[in-house]
Amino acid sequence: MSLGDYLRGRINIIFLNLVSLITLSIFLFSVGNTLDTILTVIITWIIVFIMFLIYEYRKRKLYFDDILRTVERLDKKYLISEIIDLPSFSDAVPYYTLMKKASKSMLEEINKIKTQRKDYNEYIEQWIHEVKTPISSIKLIEENNKTKTSRAVLEELENIDRFVEQALFYARSEEVEKDYLVKEISLEHCVNQVLIRNKRMFISNNIDIEIANININVYCDSKWLEFIINQIIVNSVKYRRSEFPIVKIYIKHINNGIQLIIEDNGIGIPDNEINRVFKKGFTGNKGRLNHKSTGIGLYLCKKLCVKLGLLITAESKENLYTKIVITFPKGNFCNLGAV
Amino acid sequence: MFNIMIVEDNQQLQNEIASLLVRNGYSALKTNEFNNIPKIVKESRPHLILLDINLPYDDGLKICTEIRSFSTVPIIFVTSKNTNVDELMSITLGGDDFITKPYNTQILLARINSLLKRVYPNEKSVDVIEYNSIKLNILSSKIEHNDQEIELTKNELKILHYLLINKGKIVSRVDIMEYLWDSSLFVNDNTLTVNITRIRNKFESIGVKDFIKTKRGQGYIV
Repeated sequence: MSLGDYLRGRINIIFLNLVSLITLSIFLFSVGNTLDTILTVIITWIIVFIMFLIYEYRKRKLYFDDILRTVERLDKKYLISEIIDLPSFSDAVPYYTLMKKASKSMLEEINKIKTQRKDYNEYIEQWIHEVKTPISSIKLIEENNKTKTSRAVLEELENIDRFVEQALFYARSEEVEKDYLVKEISLEHCVNQVLIRNKRMFISNNIDIEIANININVYCDSKWLEFIINQIIVNSVKYRRSEFPIVKIYIKHINNGIQLIIEDNGIGIPDNEINRVFKKGFTGNKGRLNHKSTGIGLYLCKKLCVKLGLLITAESKENLYTKIVITFPKGNFCNLGAV
Repeated sequence: MFNIMIVEDNQQLQNEIASLLVRNGYSALKTNEFNNIPKIVKESRPHLILLDINLPYDDGLKICTEIRSFSTVPIIFVTSKNTNVDELMSITLGGDDFITKPYNTQILLARINSLLKRVYPNEKSVDVIEYNSIKLNILSSKIEHNDQEIELTKNELKILHYLLINKGKIVSRVDIMEYLWDSSLFVNDNTLTVNITRIRNKFESIGVKDFIKTKRGQGYIV
């Protein structure tokens, strides 16, 4: 609040004082006072009035500056009404009460929605756990009684399982911190688990795997990391080329960490789209045309990587290759960033 | 023969796990009285228990604690809950292993096998498979025939092992590949052909002819 703003707000009082002052001066003059007396009265009046204005202005300025400073420092700004003081000038009190009431009702609304969301998330998790039992059932039935169609059914079942898994991790991605356990894990074991889970997809599409020197330990949560690697590998298969598709998995040591690189020789990502692949809902031209992309997979990867303190980047040349690089930080940085 | 108890409230799944176990040389004990599992365990003394967590009456974690109060029988948790907390809980309460649904059957069998081997080391287990005067020694990865022996590579051992498990049946190339992938051996079609040829050459070098026969368009048979 600047002085100008304040004065503009007080314009009617200033005007009233001016009118009174003139009226008084005329009255004093007409009853026969000397010019000196009138001048003294006018100057005293003006000085007192200006002091009053300055006092009022300072009081307000201190109060509002304090509120503004507090709100800047506040993490959740909508909670300001909870910590604001009762204003010492009476014309602001109704606004104060109003704000208290409004934000109270808003907080109630927010809590209601939070509870609803929590309920919904819990329901989704519950549902996913329930649907996994019939999936296991179908899987076992088909594996126990192999017929000509079993392989196709099992392959589709792998897809269903993947979608269910994605939904589960999406539901959980808001609260990663609730369910993770960072410990030393074998990168090779993680990658193997993912490949085994997708074996039918690889074998039936005749895709080669080339794994090099990934026998190394990193600090991460194995379940989340497996999910991330799974999404990337499924993409490599989805956007493969028709002749001699291959997926290469290898690591590279860099200054402050280890990079896990998953490279395919697939259709690639055009230069103008590569910056957007981690955005939610982004599917790209190729995704839209051929492959029913959802634009969720890589978005989730990025989100989880951020929460786990990993760096994920993409690099590609159209029609040549796509490289997804996950960087695991090492040393002190790891302790600060990931845990 | 090892007796494995299945505690699973989904009837269909229970039957399928049972038939999977029976097919792989175990005997399976099914039960539907979920309110007195510990008593059944006491009476029938299974060698291993597959325990679900979500059950009617008490949950699996509680049952596990009760069983642990009188027995050290190996317990594998088989569940659809896959949070770290569940895993941690089940291990701290005395579970020996934790597998999430939908599980890979080969991995389930492998875990059962290795757990049984560890807990009952004296029971004889199948480390040598004999068939038509040929011995496959799994531990030393060798085939023996008339005092002659030859070593196999990891891939070759797995392929031969799988063919011998399914002796007398036609095994398709895809089946073999899936089996190899389950053991983290990520081979492609060409590698498989090369490996089969090498196994055949090795058999010939110890004087066995035509051990693995090709069924055109279907696969292999021993």
